[in-house]
Formats: sequence, C-alpha cells, structure tokens
Amino acid sequence: MIYPLDITIYGIIVSAISFLIVFFITPPFIEYLTKKGRVVLDYHKPGKPKVPRPAGPVLLMGIVISEIILYFLISDVKIISVLLTTIIAFIIGYIDDLKTMPGWFKPAALILAAVPIIVLGTHGNYLNLIFDSAFIPILYILLILSIIPIVGNTINSIDVFNGVATGFIIITMIPLLVGVILFSNTDVFLIGLPLLFGCIAMYQYHKYPSKIFLGDSGTLLLGSMYAALSIVGNSEIIGVIALLPAVMNSFLFLSSVKKIVEHRQVKTRPVTICDDFRLMASKDNSAPATLVRLILARGPLSEQEIITRIFILAAFSSLLAIISIAIQYAFMMGKLSL
Amino acid sequence: MRLFGLFMLIFIMWIMIMTVSYFLVFIIGPLHINVFYNTTDRLISSIIKASLAIGLVIVLILLLGLLKTKYLQKALLKN
Repeated sequence: MIYPLDITIYGIIVSAISFLIVFFITPPFIEYLTKKGRVVLDYHKPGKPKVPRPAGPVLLMGIVISEIILYFLISDVKIISVLLTTIIAFIIGYIDDLKTMPGWFKPAALILAAVPIIVLGTHGNYLNLIFDSAFIPILYILLILSIIPIVGNTINSIDVFNGVATGFIIITMIPLLVGVILFSNTDVFLIGLPLLFGCIAMYQYHKYPSKIFLGDSGTLLLGSMYAALSIVGNSEIIGVIALLPAVMNSFLFLSSVKKIVEHRQVKTRPVTICDDFRLMASKDNSAPATLVRLILARGPLSEQEIITRIFILAAFSSLLAIISIAIQYAFMMGKLSL
Repeated sequence: MRLFGLFMLIFIMWIMIMTVSYFLVFIIGPLHINVFYNTTDRLISSIIKASLAIGLVIVLILLLGLLKTKYLQKALLKN
C-alpha cells in the first residue's frame, strides 16, 4: 500500500523530472534540428517562418525517464504497458516524420501500440459506463485495439495550429486524472503525471508563436499515452467525453472525405488564408468539414483567436467529463439510483 | 455568440453518450433469454447482448452523422 505522503512525494518527483527534462532539453534540441535543416514552413504567418520539427523525441525522453524512476518506486506493471504503448506510438509517428507514409499507415500501425496493454493484462474486464460497469472480456480486447489508434489519430488531426495539441492535452488531462484517482488507483494517477507536466513544459515552446512543432511522433505519443491511461485507469468514457471536440473533428473529417487519408492529400482545403493572414472557412462545398471550418463559419479569425476557441471548447468538454465523473461517483457510492 | 452552436453540438453528443450508457446498463445489461433452460442460454444471451450493444453504438454513430449534416447545413452553407 502506498501512503498519501508517499503519493505526494512520488508525484512531485516524477512531475518535476518530466517537466525539467522537457523544459531544459527542448532549447538545445531546437538548435540541433535547425542546424540539421529539419524545419518546416509555418503557413499561417506572414513570411512563412521556418519552424523546427519534431519535438516528439524530447517529450519521449522526459516521459520515459520519469516513468522508469516511478517503476523503481512503485514497481507496477501498468507503468511498463503504458510506456511500451507510448514508445511504439512514438516510433510509428517518427517513421511518418522521416518519410510521408500513406493515410492508412498510422491507424493500422497504431493497433500494434495497443498490444502491450493486452499482453501484459493491465486492462480490466469491466467497461465503466457512468451508471455502472459492464463485464465484456472479449469485446474489451477489441475496444482496446480500436481506442489507441482512434485517440492517437484524433490528437494528431487536431494539431493544426500552434500549441493546440499540447494545450488540448493539458486541459483534458484534468478530468482524466480525476477519473483515474476515483475509479482506478493512485498508481495510474502517478503514471499520468509525467504526461501532464511534460506537456506543460513543451507548451512553453509549442504555444503561439511556435518555436518547435510536435510532428507526428509527438502527437501520436500524446494521443496514445492518453488512451492507454484511460484504459488502465478504467476511465475510457470519461476520456472520450473530455476529447469530444477532437473526436468531433476526426468524425467530421472522416465523414466528409469518406476514407482514411492524410490531411495533406486532401485537394480542397477546409480553410483559406486572407491577405491579412486571418483564416476563413472555405466556401467550396467539396471541402472537408473540420472543427476549425465550423469555428470560422461566422467569419474570419486570426490564428490566435482560433486557438483560444479550441481551448474554450476543450474546457467545455472537460467540464462535461467532470459532471460525468460526479454522476458515476454518486452511482458508485449509492447516492444516486435509477 | 460564435461558439454557441458548437457548445450545443458537444452537449448533444454528451447527452447521446449518456443515453447509450443508460441503455447498455439498465436495458441491455439485465436482459436474459431462456430458450433451452440450460447453460447454452447464457451464451445465447451474451451473443444477443453483444449484438444489441454493437447495434446501439452503430445507431449512435449514424445519429451523430445526421446531427453533423444538419449542423453543417445550418452553419456553413447558409453563410
């Protein structure tokens, strides 16, 4: 049993390690990437500045080191399964960063990232359904194999503006961590802290105007680790509710293009850039529907204004997730019944 | 307010998720079918429950698609 004081101390240790590694390693890594010429254009700004990419390796370093230290402290196999899932997702993303792969590659390859959770048996057999839980041992395996690719790609597809993916994960991690501590155990809560604090540190460089882009390695790592935490922490539905704006974005995109393709492969862009570098929703009916296109439906906005609105939507869905947690907790404690 | 429509869309999606959860727990969960009055009934019940649950999720996705189309027509095409 871990005592509350130990949890606090371990939590501070792993959070600080993850934060400090990402915060202090990112600036030299930005220099390294710039020297190597691994930069991409930021199309939404005047002069299209070159921004280094990917930040995934630094995020991974911070998370891996803090999780290994946590393993020495609490020796829970769940750490290994979440870590392996994260590392596999990072490798898949890094391959895509180095060489542009076809649209099917990321969703298909990310199924592999779900395997450690199943093989190490760190998932439950019960799916928490707010009002109660359902015993679905076989269906649950299929669910795990689909949750990791869906969430990984969902976070990947929302990262279209400076700081969106890291800011989005920071906001939506709050209900997930609350859910995990109430419906699972403190170990999973501790496993989640390096992701949150790694993201807070990375946000300092990723926020508008970005000094570094996450790349596919960074976004797939974030999405897959978030999904893995929700699975081992028995908070899958809470995670889905918190991610609703991102889920909606993927759903809108998929249902309008009708197939799995890379965003860059889409011929008609969902948004266009005005002369003053504000963004405007495409008037072309064949353009794919995305969350940003819907935000811009009532008129053009600057990049910063769009980012703020995405964060407001994330805060709203996180609030709904917290209400769901309260309902689930009330049912669990027998204070509510139907 | 510019985001009101999107807030409503997310809220409706949340209500739909909660409704599906309610159905799965209180309607489909307790369902038990007796055909042969032996252990086979448990298997039959499980298959029927799993099929109903998957069907319900498919209905949820279809409803979300319908909701999306309506919202797109209202928000994008009118502008």
